[in-house]
Amino acid sequence: MCDQIADGVIASRVSRRRFLHSAAWMSGAVATGAGSWVLQPPWANAAATPIKVGIATDLTGAIAYAGNANANAARMVVKDINDAGGILGRSIALFFADTASNESIAVSNVRRLIQRDKVDLVLGGITSSMRNAIKDVIVTRGKTLYIYPEQYEGKECTPYLFCTGPTLSQQCDRFIPWLIKNGGRRFALPAANYVFPRAVNEHTRKLIENNGGEVILEEYYPVGQIEYGATVSRIMTNNVEVVLNTIIPPGAGPFLKQLHEAGFGRRGGRLACLYYDEASLNINEPQEIEGMANCLDYFRAVTSEDPASARIQAEYDREFPGRILFAAGTGATGMYRGLKLWELAVKEAGNLDREHVAAALDHAKISEGPGGPAEMVPGKRHCKMNMYTAVAKNGNFEIVARSEGLVDPMAC
Amino acid sequence: MESTLNATFEVLSFGAVFVLVVLGLGIVAGMMGIFNFAHGDFVLLGAYTTYLVYSLGLPVWLGMLAAPLVVAAIGFVLERLVIRRFYVIPVIAMVATYALGLIIREGVRGLIGGLYLSVPEPIVGSFTVAGAHFSRWRLAIIVIAVTVTITGYFLLTRTSFGLRVRAALDNPSLARASGISTSALYAATFTVGAGLAGLAGALVVPLFSLFADLGIHFLILGFLAILIGGIGTFQGSIAGAATVGALSAALPWAVAPVLADALVFVIAVVFIKFRPKGLIA
Repeated sequence: MCDQIADGVIASRVSRRRFLHSAAWMSGAVATGAGSWVLQPPWANAAATPIKVGIATDLTGAIAYAGNANANAARMVVKDINDAGGILGRSIALFFADTASNESIAVSNVRRLIQRDKVDLVLGGITSSMRNAIKDVIVTRGKTLYIYPEQYEGKECTPYLFCTGPTLSQQCDRFIPWLIKNGGRRFALPAANYVFPRAVNEHTRKLIENNGGEVILEEYYPVGQIEYGATVSRIMTNNVEVVLNTIIPPGAGPFLKQLHEAGFGRRGGRLACLYYDEASLNINEPQEIEGMANCLDYFRAVTSEDPASARIQAEYDREFPGRILFAAGTGATGMYRGLKLWELAVKEAGNLDREHVAAALDHAKISEGPGGPAEMVPGKRHCKMNMYTAVAKNGNFEIVARSEGLVDPMAC
Repeated sequence: MESTLNATFEVLSFGAVFVLVVLGLGIVAGMMGIFNFAHGDFVLLGAYTTYLVYSLGLPVWLGMLAAPLVVAAIGFVLERLVIRRFYVIPVIAMVATYALGLIIREGVRGLIGGLYLSVPEPIVGSFTVAGAHFSRWRLAIIVIAVTVTITGYFLLTRTSFGLRVRAALDNPSLARASGISTSALYAATFTVGAGLAGLAGALVVPLFSLFADLGIHFLILGFLAILIGGIGTFQGSIAGAATVGALSAALPWAVAPVLADALVFVIAVVFIKFRPKGLIA
């Protein structure tokens, strides 16, 4: 080889012509396909013209752990549907668009799902700002059905946009009285400065005051802030009994650590956080969040009391072992629920026409899902579901209370 | 009293964190004239190395010892392969370090699955003075920051290595003519800067947890600290870092937290306007 190079006869495995040829193909592929790709069902009953389902979620970027959990849940449900013969005799093909935790990138990639791939349904979006950014591309200009799977503040009433995660009302209306009973009356509401925490604090402040509690502190911080000495000191010196946190990562970890070090837990303080689930438990050491309470539509602990949840969880763990967890805060449970409800709606409608499917989806019900059964509230485009209150103990969530039946989303 | 003690300790500890992070950045900027945009990602690499060692079942402190060495080695390789080619065009060097930082950051993001991962402190718990609770690990960081600063100061002012570094900084051409290898000195300086970033990452990861954007949070404020302190002096970097760190920690005690970050920049810009050469020119 050295002799060849010395002679100027470089091995011709990669000739200039071949390089240019390959580069041209690569450029073409990137230009037309970057940001979205298709996952065709490889199994036997895949029809020639599959139903196209678009998944627009944060596969990369700051909340990629949640986006990938959504994508995995979608893969799992679609595989189950295809294995059972598909819908209306047709298989389902998944089309992925990376919303990349960045609204401007997301709009471009979702537009590609609608205009190039011509999907029949889009599921996805994690943050409310992402949903607001992509919903017009999907629903208004794209004339396509959109299912938003994440827990959120509950004020989304756009036609053809269905929400399958819990609303603030579902999370908080029973949870705040539970916190007052099991924590105390003096609340602190530290929050990241964006739409969801502000909506949470507006909603919970009314609930706290209506139930005899008082808000001692309500503060907002830049999303990236990682130093909370002043806030922790105010919480400690004002004898706050319950901290309902909506500071999000990367600030959540340092804040909860500083609060623990200041002795909030030792003096009997109660932590609560509306998005903490099993995927968030790694952010802190177990002792730093001991006793943290939350109310969600699903916790892994539900598997011990609901066989359907246990089957779904086991299937996910088998198909996607690793760090990307099937957890409610990521929106993965809403993704499961959304796809299953839509499957029933398409079967009832008998076709993929948006009007017909939306009309059927408006009253769709599933008897099994993560956390139990779920049903759409007619005319509201939101979902009734069971709600569970859990407390972190030794690095796991344990169920301490559950709703009596399905809880109304109280939206729209 | 309790509140004042708490505030003083928080300001001191965050100032110490900042000094550790900015030290390496200041040395590289001052000695080599390069604004290293990958510095935050060297901090991240230090944090990741600590996590990696810990996740293998080894003690955290071992990871903290390994981190500066590993990141220094990576810094040395990058300096030899990439950075040294751009000493004559610092703007391109900034772009090159930005690209390197991006590669490191996204690589780590992939390795940790985009998650936020906790790393425990080697010294856990808190102690109480006059009713106020103080973290033992934050106190350890203050002690380490002071030790590193004093060591660095003596290295630069009391050793022949320091003398050659200062000579290369003052007049590179004359230093070369006097037989000093500025190329080797630059490599050594960049390696030390990267190692300090690795140490900073290792020490702060128990406070802030491991996440891919850990270093970015310090980078912009780090550059601000260097501008305030004055480019080109060791003492300037320390003074700037301590000032910005203390301001960042102190302002939320006085104004609404959402305004504090912006106010740090406003104060810094006004200061630089009236004292463009920094605190210690």
